[in-house]
Amino acid sequence: MEAFIGGMGLLLDPKILLVVFAGTLIGIIVGALPGISGSTTTALLLPFTITMGPVPAIAFLGAIYCAANFGGSITAILVNSPGDPSASATAFDGYPMAVRGEAGRALGMSAVASAIGGIFSVVVLIFAAPLLARMAYSFGPPEYFALAVFGLSMVAMSGGDSAVKNLIAGAFGVMLATVGQDITTGVERYTFGIYSFTDGIEFIPVLIGLFALTELLEQASQLARRTAMARLGAVRLPSWADVRKCAKAISLSSVLGTFIGVLPALGATTAAMIAYVETKRWSSNKEEFGKGAIEGVAGPEAANNAAVGGAMVPTLALGIPGSGTTAIILAGLIVQGVRPGPHLFTEQPTLLYAVFSSMLLANLLYLVLGLGFAKLFARITQIPPQFLWPAVFVLSVIGAYAPNQAMAEVWVAIVFGFIGFFMRRFGFSPAPLVIGLVLGKLVEETLKQSLIIFDLSWSGFLGRPIALTLFALTALFLLAPWALQRLRARP
Amino acid sequence: MSANRVAAAAVIAVAAVLFALTFGFEKMPLGLSGGFGAEAFPRLVLGVVSGLAVLLFLAGPASEPPAPIAAMVYYTAASLLAFMALVPLVGMLGAMFLLLVGLGYLWGERRAWLLLLICASVMVVIWGVFVKGFAVQLPQGLWS
Repeated sequence: MEAFIGGMGLLLDPKILLVVFAGTLIGIIVGALPGISGSTTTALLLPFTITMGPVPAIAFLGAIYCAANFGGSITAILVNSPGDPSASATAFDGYPMAVRGEAGRALGMSAVASAIGGIFSVVVLIFAAPLLARMAYSFGPPEYFALAVFGLSMVAMSGGDSAVKNLIAGAFGVMLATVGQDITTGVERYTFGIYSFTDGIEFIPVLIGLFALTELLEQASQLARRTAMARLGAVRLPSWADVRKCAKAISLSSVLGTFIGVLPALGATTAAMIAYVETKRWSSNKEEFGKGAIEGVAGPEAANNAAVGGAMVPTLALGIPGSGTTAIILAGLIVQGVRPGPHLFTEQPTLLYAVFSSMLLANLLYLVLGLGFAKLFARITQIPPQFLWPAVFVLSVIGAYAPNQAMAEVWVAIVFGFIGFFMRRFGFSPAPLVIGLVLGKLVEETLKQSLIIFDLSWSGFLGRPIALTLFALTALFLLAPWALQRLRARP
Repeated sequence: MSANRVAAAAVIAVAAVLFALTFGFEKMPLGLSGGFGAEAFPRLVLGVVSGLAVLLFLAGPASEPPAPIAAMVYYTAASLLAFMALVPLVGMLGAMFLLLVGLGYLWGERRAWLLLLICASVMVVIWGVFVKGFAVQLPQGLWS
């Protein structure tokens, strides 16, 4: 309780208030800009948080993560082009509402549903994360290895073209984590004589390359595409009738979103899509969906924001990222010298509760900002790409260069920009690669420690029930979709 | 060959090269490596990658071939490389300004006054925030 009060008390610190406000504002703006997602922005701004200290840095990144999902709905509703992938489902009904002159009503509902979903999930995070951490406190290296493998296996379902491709990308991420000196022997691996690779590949330039520079190249191939913006009337709080109509959708989607967010590697986009389907299934106005049903806006928006808090549960309690963006936030914690996991709850509880409270604040802030300034944010989305993207490149270069002041890091960012571009062309999502990169060291370290404990015998895992359960779950999650597909294909 | 099979073949080729490179890792006495040398983990992961790539190859031509890459992507990529070549000559700030103007023009902005005004403003912000504010020492090029 002391830590909770201490964490909440940090919100009185003007510096923290300022970074949460700045993070929320930046999150809404970038979420609204098509092409610049929450992941891209957290990757891009990660280097600038290094000098902030752990609490403001994570509060800043967390606020961006919370607000970007809401920001994405602004363009999804007004332009039919989701600013953030997680707002894709919002466009199904949000844009038709905007076309018939109800953009303000849709945006108002989006802001309210997003805030309710977000706040619900942060409350779940406050209670569930310490419980999960307590459970994991007795974990040894074999259990952590099994948990990390389970987390990696979940990338199979993290979007993209196919499960196999996601797994390949995740495994390559793990391979990237092997670059540099081996932890036990000191042997250099894949350094190619480049001095800055000796300590391993830095997260920051890889993340900047995979998200920001890849998107720059993607945008170059879409320059001809222009979007028309629907007329926006005043954004207003939903009416009592709208609230009653959407109450079921918001509650169901908040629970669903939080649960999906908790599952490693499944993020806000999956949550929103599933919530849309479920909202429609349980609605008494099914025929309105796709034509401008307000529940079709409320459901996905509550879910994608609920997934944010959900995704932070395994990230903070276990050190296993719940989504691509939380993998970047996890990298941010590691860069700050903080290793997330169960011990964090006993060693630095104030930091954790400061993160929780800053996320709560961010959810309240974007409700106010969203209702008050949606018209202004909508204008920002009209920045011409010929000004926006070259500026993003310049910021990427500074971001990659600044932490170590080394041009080699800029080269890494550019190379990963090209790699990310080709990955996307062939249906490989960059998020699994990032998750693999972040988890790679944990996988290798815990495997080596486990084998030392078991005297180099793999059968030692058989005597660890928790590890065995996690391996069984891994196998189930990997094989279930394939088995279901085979069953359905049977005549 | 379908896009999936091209991707699978490329993955296998990269994995083979990375696997071959593990033979060049420095050898350590068994006692120091604990029986699990520096090469063991990468080989294990590469084995998994190759197995998955074989699955992808066998899964067959499920995906559409990717659309041809737009010419603008090549020009943009060339601009990024040109930027890297320019840094040692004109310094990072100079190269950034040239890239902002060049890429803006390439992407269709023809109002020279607006382009120069916006690029100059971006550069002032970059200089003020990072060089003056955060004291980041940027490469100066031939002027250093």
